[in-house]
Amino acid sequence: MSQSSLYNQNAKLGYSTVAINHVIDFKEKKQEIPKPISPSELLPSLPIIPGKLKPIKIVTRLTLVVSDPSHCNVLRATSSNIRLYDIIAVFPKTEKLFHVACTNLDVDLICISVTEKLPFYFRRPPVNMAIDRGIYFEVLYTPAIKDSTMRRYTISNALSLVQICKGKNVIISSAAERPLELRGPYDVANLGLLFGLSESDAKAAVSTNCRAILLHGETRKTACGVVYTMKKPQPVEEEEETLPACKRAKTQV
Amino acid sequence: MVRFKHRYLLCEVVAEDPRCRRCIDERAVTTAAKGALARAYGDYGLACCSIAFTGQVKYLNAYTGVVLLRCRKDFYRLLWSALPLVTHLESRGQRHPCFFHTLHVGGTIRSCQKFLIQYNRRQLVMLLNSCTNKEERESIQKSLLGCFLQEAEEEQFQSGEEEDDCAETD
Repeated sequence: MSQSSLYNQNAKLGYSTVAINHVIDFKEKKQEIPKPISPSELLPSLPIIPGKLKPIKIVTRLTLVVSDPSHCNVLRATSSNIRLYDIIAVFPKTEKLFHVACTNLDVDLICISVTEKLPFYFRRPPVNMAIDRGIYFEVLYTPAIKDSTMRRYTISNALSLVQICKGKNVIISSAAERPLELRGPYDVANLGLLFGLSESDAKAAVSTNCRAILLHGETRKTACGVVYTMKKPQPVEEEEETLPACKRAKTQV
Repeated sequence: MVRFKHRYLLCEVVAEDPRCRRCIDERAVTTAAKGALARAYGDYGLACCSIAFTGQVKYLNAYTGVVLLRCRKDFYRLLWSALPLVTHLESRGQRHPCFFHTLHVGGTIRSCQKFLIQYNRRQLVMLLNSCTNKEERESIQKSLLGCFLQEAEEEQFQSGEEEDDCAETD
């Protein structure tokens, strides 16, 4: 299956976490949000990253293409399957929806369209509010590899975004469907230079910002990250007794 | 010292088709890189990275798909940001889809060679994990043992090396 070769290629290039994207477009007739596929169903064993001993981590992500304010109600519904996704992204098509997404909606990512001329201009107030709330903006790079006109749209849209947000809170991701459309992390960081990011911002766009998004997604599941319960594995009894009493207290977390 | 400083980009050509490896040659790689530069940066890009044109591809290994490209230090970013836009290699009338995966950027050929030796060792270890045949396994184990013995010998006879200028930052 070509999907498993996608993950193999990702691990070979050095990525440690991969997010599978489910796109929901509300323009068609009303769709139910499906449950996310768990990674163990897709592959029996995850490929191991060369250089480290751990396998890659696969997270699930939902993208909502919204062109109408009524589509956003799905995010507030408590009974739907949205809670099961790790990352939630929204793709606004109008200026009002962009403003609502930056200020009110409970999402982690806002996607910027790269395949067409921007239907609206970015303004500074909603973008700054989104940065304060910890929401990131996403630019795709695979259309730029495939086609020349897409490349022009990608670069112009990305440049206008970076001018308004000053390079903060931007991530670059691929919408690759085949293993040959992927690029290594250093190459993607260099593509960020083309998009107007500074060198440190471009490297952060591939590494630290993505990790921040994962944490932001986790806070949604656990009451803003205040309370997080985890089962503590019981320490082995023999090891505890050999340590003197003063050291024993410090090793207990 | 008045000398021209270069940056050497060590790239691996990754392709799905194993037959593509045999068609990698110097001209295909230079045409692909120049095509990507022309599409991204136009005449300016072509001009910047063609100054040292006759010596562009310094090392090419068709079995592993490793290529070493050279360009001037001031313009290596231009070339590096145009490399992801390469989608296929053309040679002898055949098109093979592939892409360039940059492994290392160095200031001298020697630093790139050192990195390549370590990288190949890691690849050998990974191949050992994934080989299916007993003969393959034995041959890989033999070559691994051979390179570790050689490394031990090198450390005994090593004298101080001169400084590379790859430690210089912009």
